[in-house]
Amino acid sequence: MIYLDNAATSWPKPEPVYETLGSFLREAGANPGRSGHRMAVRAAAAVEGTRAALARLFGVDDPRRVIFASNATDALNLAIKGILSAGDHVVTTVMEHNSVRRPIRALEVIGVSTTKVPADAEGFVTPEAVRAALQPNTRLVAITHASNVNGAIQPVAEIAEVLADHGAFLLVDAAQTAGTLPFTLDEIGADLLAFPGHKGLMGPPGTGGLILGPRVEIDDLTPVREGGTGGNSEEDFQPRTLPARYEAGTVNTVGIAALGAALDVIAETGVAAIGAHEREMTTRLIEGLRAIPGVRVLSPSDPERRVAVVSITVDGWEPADFGAALDDAFQIACRTGLHCAPEACQALGAFPGGTVRFSPGFFTTAEEIDRTIEAVRELAKASLQMV
Amino acid sequence: MIETRSTPARYQRQAIFAPIGPEGQQCIQRARVCIVGVGALGTHVADTLARAGVGFLRIVDRDVPELTNLQRQILFDESDLDAGLPKAIAAARRLSAINSEIEIDARAVDVNQTNIEGLIGDVDFVIDGTDNFEIRYLLNDACVKQGIPWIYGGVIGSYGMSMTILPGETPCLRCVFPDPPPPGEAPTCDTAGVLGPAVAAVAAIESAEALKLATGARENLNRTLLSLDIWDLTFDRIPLGEPNTECPCCGRRQFEFLNREAPSHTTQLCGRDAVQVLVHPPARITLASLAERLKPVGEVGYNAYLLRFRTDGYDLTVFPDGRAIIKGTTDPVEARSVYARYIGM
Repeated sequence: MIYLDNAATSWPKPEPVYETLGSFLREAGANPGRSGHRMAVRAAAAVEGTRAALARLFGVDDPRRVIFASNATDALNLAIKGILSAGDHVVTTVMEHNSVRRPIRALEVIGVSTTKVPADAEGFVTPEAVRAALQPNTRLVAITHASNVNGAIQPVAEIAEVLADHGAFLLVDAAQTAGTLPFTLDEIGADLLAFPGHKGLMGPPGTGGLILGPRVEIDDLTPVREGGTGGNSEEDFQPRTLPARYEAGTVNTVGIAALGAALDVIAETGVAAIGAHEREMTTRLIEGLRAIPGVRVLSPSDPERRVAVVSITVDGWEPADFGAALDDAFQIACRTGLHCAPEACQALGAFPGGTVRFSPGFFTTAEEIDRTIEAVRELAKASLQMV
Repeated sequence: MIETRSTPARYQRQAIFAPIGPEGQQCIQRARVCIVGVGALGTHVADTLARAGVGFLRIVDRDVPELTNLQRQILFDESDLDAGLPKAIAAARRLSAINSEIEIDARAVDVNQTNIEGLIGDVDFVIDGTDNFEIRYLLNDACVKQGIPWIYGGVIGSYGMSMTILPGETPCLRCVFPDPPPPGEAPTCDTAGVLGPAVAAVAAIESAEALKLATGARENLNRTLLSLDIWDLTFDRIPLGEPNTECPCCGRRQFEFLNREAPSHTTQLCGRDAVQVLVHPPARITLASLAERLKPVGEVGYNAYLLRFRTDGYDLTVFPDGRAIIKGTTDPVEARSVYARYIGM
């Protein structure tokens, strides 16, 4: 099989991830931070080790500002629902995934107002458009770092500059960039960064988190979930300490430990090297696909402004049928449809049908890319014979 | 006669039939029966058994009545098309009107390996009213595992078959047909047609078998693979002999259909109103011959990679490995049902 669905979940995983998943429960399967016995301490050490590695990766001085969540969606829900309250205004974009669109939409019923910034034909949003959307009561700007439909990298740092005078918090959805694009929280100016563990960070599903930048005080972000944390047990209220304030309940120790193993591999390899390989594969794929008659490639033209997410539409084909034929006849795994981002598809001129999306990963080879291009060429010229 | 007086008048003609008698009638009224599928065969059998006074009837079906059903599915009428109620519910209402003295348990669910044992666990025997092999082989596993008799029935065109399976005593479905036909290989009623009288004939045999099972008339049960063609007027009974000791189901008691990964898996596709049905293990469908079968009932086109078929509000794209993308629904149960009707599973 040729696996080109890394934007959904990266696969395969580095060997230490499998090993940790296999051994951790057996060797350190206790509850972290609750009990003082040796195995509990080992479990806690693994969780804190991963927290520290994430802090290093994203250039955060205080690891306690890394909050574990079930996935990026969970982290985005905490950020959006924890920051916004009735009467607030939020600026977001048409390029967002449902993990941003839906929590914001849900808040509209309690009196949060929204402005959606449009994108150009390549999927880019401009800082000027964000500036124009700001209102005095704008409390949050929520934007995807890179599109999960066509890979367009948004000018997040420039948008942060626009916000500097205003004071609104900047929430960045790093679902498609964490682990594949080298950046720190400071470099992109994010106040809140939501990331998944199972995509570019090469960890298992069920991991992810929210990073709080230095501007975010605990009074700015209300917990969306209360419960046990292992400390301050005599109190009725959720503790005000980080990360406990936002981590009620036992965390996914096994998954977090395995994510830690993946982060070790990433640190050794270097995010820049990973990104360079993915960029090379992506460019090879885009150039190959662009040469096929009947295929429309929805990617940004500038290789520096896109991540490894490539969407196409093919004349005469429904994306779902095309994806199934790739899987059946060529054993190529891709994703088709709207990718949980209907307005992004609309902005790119691929609505309501959606697209066929290929997302290479760190383990994708040039030969796999070439075979994929050939398969697309073959299918694009197949016509239906009516009987 | 005292016995006759103890029989309610409504069952009198049946109870004075000597092999049943008043005791037999009481057995029928105590009987608990599950009918899996209330389409053509199932409605006929349910109608007969409700009238006969079977005390507990569980009827299970995942579909809703459609216009093309009325030609042969006797419990439904035109008003059911507008009501849009599931077949199980619509049939239950009709059956209650026919006989208010019996208990009817309507289950509008998709039968699968997670629920089948619960659906049949508390009945005396099971009657096959399904239209697909996926469920029949599952039913065979579940019934053999629990030692519950079941009556197989199938109809296509003017032809029908029936066989009564007494676990441990007579051959089971897999003794006779070790494996189901691969998806897309066998004709279905939606592609080859079906005649009401053929349904009625097979349903009559299934119902009579049910009455024999209920009254303990085991020596009269069908111990053959019975087939008939009401157009050619041919009837055949192939003796089945003993169960096959090597049969994976009743011989080795490996209940592969109950235990294995689901033979079909549905995924709601992002975007359009569409559901993908993926079959496991992968099939090898010859698209050209499937196209020939589907031609009379809709618009068909195909190439080396896929077949596209449009009919009756649905758009099906079928791939050689047996997967199909069914547009026109977001309901996985409806998609599986459409798959069973046009492609066959």
